[in-house]
Amino acid sequence: MSSKKARKLPYQRRKALYGYGFISLWLVGTVIFFLIPLIQSLRYSFCEVKVNPGSLETEFAGLKKYIYALNEDQYYTEYLSSTLLETLWKTPLILIFSLFIAVILNQKFRGRTFARAVFFLPVIIATGPVFKIISGDMSKTGNTGAQRFSTMFSTDLIGELMEFLGIYGLSDKMNTMISAVADNIFGIVWSSGIQIILFLAALQNIPSSAREAAEVEGATAWEYFWKITFPYVTPFILANFIYTVIDSFTSPMNQVMNRILELKSQWDFGEASAMAWIYFAIVLAAIGIVTFIVNKFVYYEVD
Amino acid sequence: MADTAQAVVKSADEIGTLSKKERKKLHMQKMTKEELAYLRRKSVTDKVWPFFRAFILIGLGFVIMYPLIYMVSCAFRERGDMSDPTVMWIPRHLTLDIIRETVQAMDFWNTLKTTLVLNIGCSVVQVFSCALTGYGFARFSFRGKKLLFVIVIMMILVPTQVISLPLYSQFRYFGIKGLFSINLIDSKLTMYLPAITGNGIRSGLMILIFRQFFRGMPKELEDAAYIDGCGPFMTFIRVMIPNAASSFLTVFLFSVVWYWNDYYVSTTFFTNTRTVALMLTNLDSELKLRLFNNISANINPREAIVWKEAGCLICIAPLLLMYVLLQKHFTEGIERSGIVG
Repeated sequence: MSSKKARKLPYQRRKALYGYGFISLWLVGTVIFFLIPLIQSLRYSFCEVKVNPGSLETEFAGLKKYIYALNEDQYYTEYLSSTLLETLWKTPLILIFSLFIAVILNQKFRGRTFARAVFFLPVIIATGPVFKIISGDMSKTGNTGAQRFSTMFSTDLIGELMEFLGIYGLSDKMNTMISAVADNIFGIVWSSGIQIILFLAALQNIPSSAREAAEVEGATAWEYFWKITFPYVTPFILANFIYTVIDSFTSPMNQVMNRILELKSQWDFGEASAMAWIYFAIVLAAIGIVTFIVNKFVYYEVD
Repeated sequence: MADTAQAVVKSADEIGTLSKKERKKLHMQKMTKEELAYLRRKSVTDKVWPFFRAFILIGLGFVIMYPLIYMVSCAFRERGDMSDPTVMWIPRHLTLDIIRETVQAMDFWNTLKTTLVLNIGCSVVQVFSCALTGYGFARFSFRGKKLLFVIVIMMILVPTQVISLPLYSQFRYFGIKGLFSINLIDSKLTMYLPAITGNGIRSGLMILIFRQFFRGMPKELEDAAYIDGCGPFMTFIRVMIPNAASSFLTVFLFSVVWYWNDYYVSTTFFTNTRTVALMLTNLDSELKLRLFNNISANINPREAIVWKEAGCLICIAPLLLMYVLLQKHFTEGIERSGIVG
């Protein structure tokens, strides 16, 4: 017995060494290509950066760049608030929408494979320059697929539908909200490819016994969704939330990022870094808070 | 009480002799009111729902397909058709000229070759290095593992824009300070080096996927290999990789897509190397330069759309082809790899 124990310890240590061996390649790369640049960029944000041929000169400037970004830059705060606001309302919409589509695509009907292929299509296009062009960044033309589509789809249609249904008394606020959703349906549909796939994966993990039990008990579709589907997908909601928020960083329509790039191309590295860090810190804090709340919620669910 | 029991027995006797319809009727009679109401409601929803579903799917499918249809419609028309108000979807003058001109302006075949070699090369090494790292995180316990994994999460969260600039100077003066430094800007190593060390485009996400995947695999697989005298690294190559083949393929496909679509990282580090994504972003000036031999040529912005849409079309055509052929691996792989656990 004791000899076995004595042999086990070195084995554990050896296994730990193998662990380091497996991640060593990544560790080296991370230090060079991630950690050092990350710290550098944080340093730049506190500095006056001068570009000389052959080198970058930095001079400590304290919080000056941050104060400038928040108080004096004529675009930054405006872009920041509008981008954050957009993320705030768009993210829940994307999550609800993708869950809804995933539930539909999980049902059995003819042409399902084709429908899935269509709804996953944005996954391969939405990260590239093509998406930049079709989502309305056609410089100078002012005539884009997305815009034209939105005008075709939005206010008139909704307004007429409302009148047709005999609804006149809706408040203006509600009206603008609905038309905003219709205007943005393009953006929402095009940014929920991965989310639909993930939710679909979650839905397929629901055991068929749960479904049969619900049918025997006579559950309505509504009850089935809230009592069976929803608890099964809750762990995926957090992952999808984080994915959606991160994806919004790289969206070509992200004004804050565009402003940062603009400053970068003007060689104002300090300012650009400060702006990037403010934005990143806010989003990171938001992700942290939501993760905390969701984890608590899931924990109680299990309890 | 006894009556109903008798009735049940009786119906059980008769069941063999009755037709299907009558049997169903008998069954209905025995139901309570609530059950009947439930069935009625169910039959109504079962009939209405498919129409509603088809309506939603077709409508939203149109939203997705719209830009693609528009692309195809524009790419095969003459530029004059753009100013013709009667032409909406179907071009009046069908032509392949625009596609031909765009292919020529983008130097498409050479660009395609460069891009494919770069993308596939980077993706292969990146998938391998990320799998290695993910395996290390999944199966071994060592000091500082939690902290290191926080770094992986950070890699997912930090947008490239934050670190791209210091990264630029990192590549510009690559080496050990005071000893030597080489200029790597414009070299393809700016793509290969991060990829080979698991720090390429979205590699944080890939490490996470592999970690989740390997954690879900049965431990017995490796134990058997260890007993047979296989070292951990050989076990990884001989046992784990073949078992994870489909997961590898999915991650590889996504990696190819992400590299193909990337223009941010490549504009930062490349000034001469041409990839398809870069060519598309610079299509305007390339067109003017190669087609009209004049950088300041004035093209009617409405008519310029045809080239832009044609450029988009040939840029995503290879991706679309790959997607159509390998669609199963794109979606089923994600479901199986258990990205979230």
